[in-house]
Amino acid sequence: MLPEWMKEVETGPCQCCAVNVGKKKSFVEKSISGALNFFQDSLISEGFAKRDGLLQSLDPRVKLISAIVLVVAVSLTRDIRVLFAVYILTLLFAYLSKIEVLFFIKRVWVFVPIFAGIIVLPILFNVFMAGDSLVTVATLGSGAHLGPILLPSTIYITRQGTMFAITFILRVATCVSLAVLLFLTTQRDVLFKSLRSLRVPKVYVLTLDMCYRYIFLLMDTVRDFFTAKKSRTIRSLSVRDEQRWVAGRVGYMLVKSLDMSNKVHDAMISRGFNGDVKLLHDYAVRKRDYAAIATVLMFSSMLALISQNIIRI
Amino acid sequence: METIFDLQDVSYTYLEKFEALKTVNLTMTAGEQISIMGANGSGKSTLLSILNALVYPTSGEFYAFGKPVTEEAFNSLEDNEFGRYFRKKVGIVFQNPDIQLFSSTVFDEIAFGPLQLGLPKDEVKKRTEGVISMMGIASLRARAPHTLSGGEKKKVCIASILSINPDVLLLDEPTGGLDPRTQLWLIELLQDLAKAGKTIITATHDLDIVEQISTRAIVFGEDHTIKADANCDVVMNNLELLTSTNLIHKHMHRHGKLMHEHLHSHDGENHHEH
Repeated sequence: MLPEWMKEVETGPCQCCAVNVGKKKSFVEKSISGALNFFQDSLISEGFAKRDGLLQSLDPRVKLISAIVLVVAVSLTRDIRVLFAVYILTLLFAYLSKIEVLFFIKRVWVFVPIFAGIIVLPILFNVFMAGDSLVTVATLGSGAHLGPILLPSTIYITRQGTMFAITFILRVATCVSLAVLLFLTTQRDVLFKSLRSLRVPKVYVLTLDMCYRYIFLLMDTVRDFFTAKKSRTIRSLSVRDEQRWVAGRVGYMLVKSLDMSNKVHDAMISRGFNGDVKLLHDYAVRKRDYAAIATVLMFSSMLALISQNIIRI
Repeated sequence: METIFDLQDVSYTYLEKFEALKTVNLTMTAGEQISIMGANGSGKSTLLSILNALVYPTSGEFYAFGKPVTEEAFNSLEDNEFGRYFRKKVGIVFQNPDIQLFSSTVFDEIAFGPLQLGLPKDEVKKRTEGVISMMGIASLRARAPHTLSGGEKKKVCIASILSINPDVLLLDEPTGGLDPRTQLWLIELLQDLAKAGKTIITATHDLDIVEQISTRAIVFGEDHTIKADANCDVVMNNLELLTSTNLIHKHMHRHGKLMHEHLHSHDGENHHEH
């Protein structure tokens, strides 16, 4: 039955077999770690939502509407002291909701440099925004230009630009903090269903809910791909071959997810789904929810009035 | 007994190229327990999909509860009384639980069917809680599907169908990937449902469970036609049939109700020992 070559059994590696140690991880290893981190992060997040904290005890619709109103109010605010105060308040609410403050700060500031830092970087320099010199970066002399753009003789970071950048970053950090607070203190399924209170069509709510559920399944499949590759990798391939393999897997995932979406649709049809989505949700608004939304509305109005200089501080 | 399903010369071809069923003639009556047996790719799952009106015969006719089941009639279930009746009467448990578990929590999953069938919300909650309690899965009610084990997923799949309370239950390889204890639990549940008068149609190639969950066996050959349709014990004792349809190996033996394989070795081209 077995071909001759398959009957050969090696006894073990030769004595001269070198064991090379390196700290740099291969892309396969990084992808497996990435998938594991994704699962770990989601488990940690779900854990926070189940804790017995202040924000967890509020109605999800109240939290959703409060977060949106506050984000709008914060976006209008220009005063750096007010922004700082609101940011500190988000940390306080994280603490009262039994979220580790350090974890919360890290979670927020991972996104801020990516989304805000890069956007605001040019504003620091007098090339884009005139102002008083804070730090001189380069002296170019008169007549310097970058292509068709005429550059000033001295390039420096301006005081006004720095203030603008700090205000902008703080505003983004505060808004992201509000969104992260909402996500960490509300279970996903409840959060998605609470979108109905904003008149989001049922079909979008259902689709969002299902997307979130299937991300885990597809992520699990991706992890299996990479684990299987790792188990059969005897020597590294060229970058081009590895890229070709990844491209092939991406294509396969697309085909697999399309096939799965058809089957999921069949499963829905077989249980009576006819395009008219029906969702089951039970909300009980309590006194504390009314108090919370009233406080948020008052606070947001105050922020708006301060931003318009109607209230001066 | 009332005929619930009637298939007349039904054939099905995927992508106009790959034959899955060939000239199938079958009738199934209410309260029967039927095993549909066949090797991989013989057409068992396709037959279940047809019986659940998820796909439609390429040729031939399929009648359910005396009415023709056609794509035209089922394309839009909205305001389709027969469609609603059919979905209420017939439930399917898919082979892959991840297809069936599309909601974000176990509770929502089990409540999905009754909600779609338009039951009042209080009744939906009562039923869902009842099924959760009956299946012993109260500890899973708020869990997300991706955090469940294989056996737990299967239990939730079955619960999500039972909450609709269908009279006809279609199961596709229900014991696949289950540990022995969960298999036994499933067999007992199917036996209880059979006693309650439900029709249970199971596609399987797990010969160990066939006689425990069914009284009638239908065997599909690898040419996608029906090779046998008889009482379970007749089919299970026909070793020639089971061998020719690739359901057992020639080294598999049957002693009374026990089917087992002897280990054997090949030594040379035509000689082997037990």
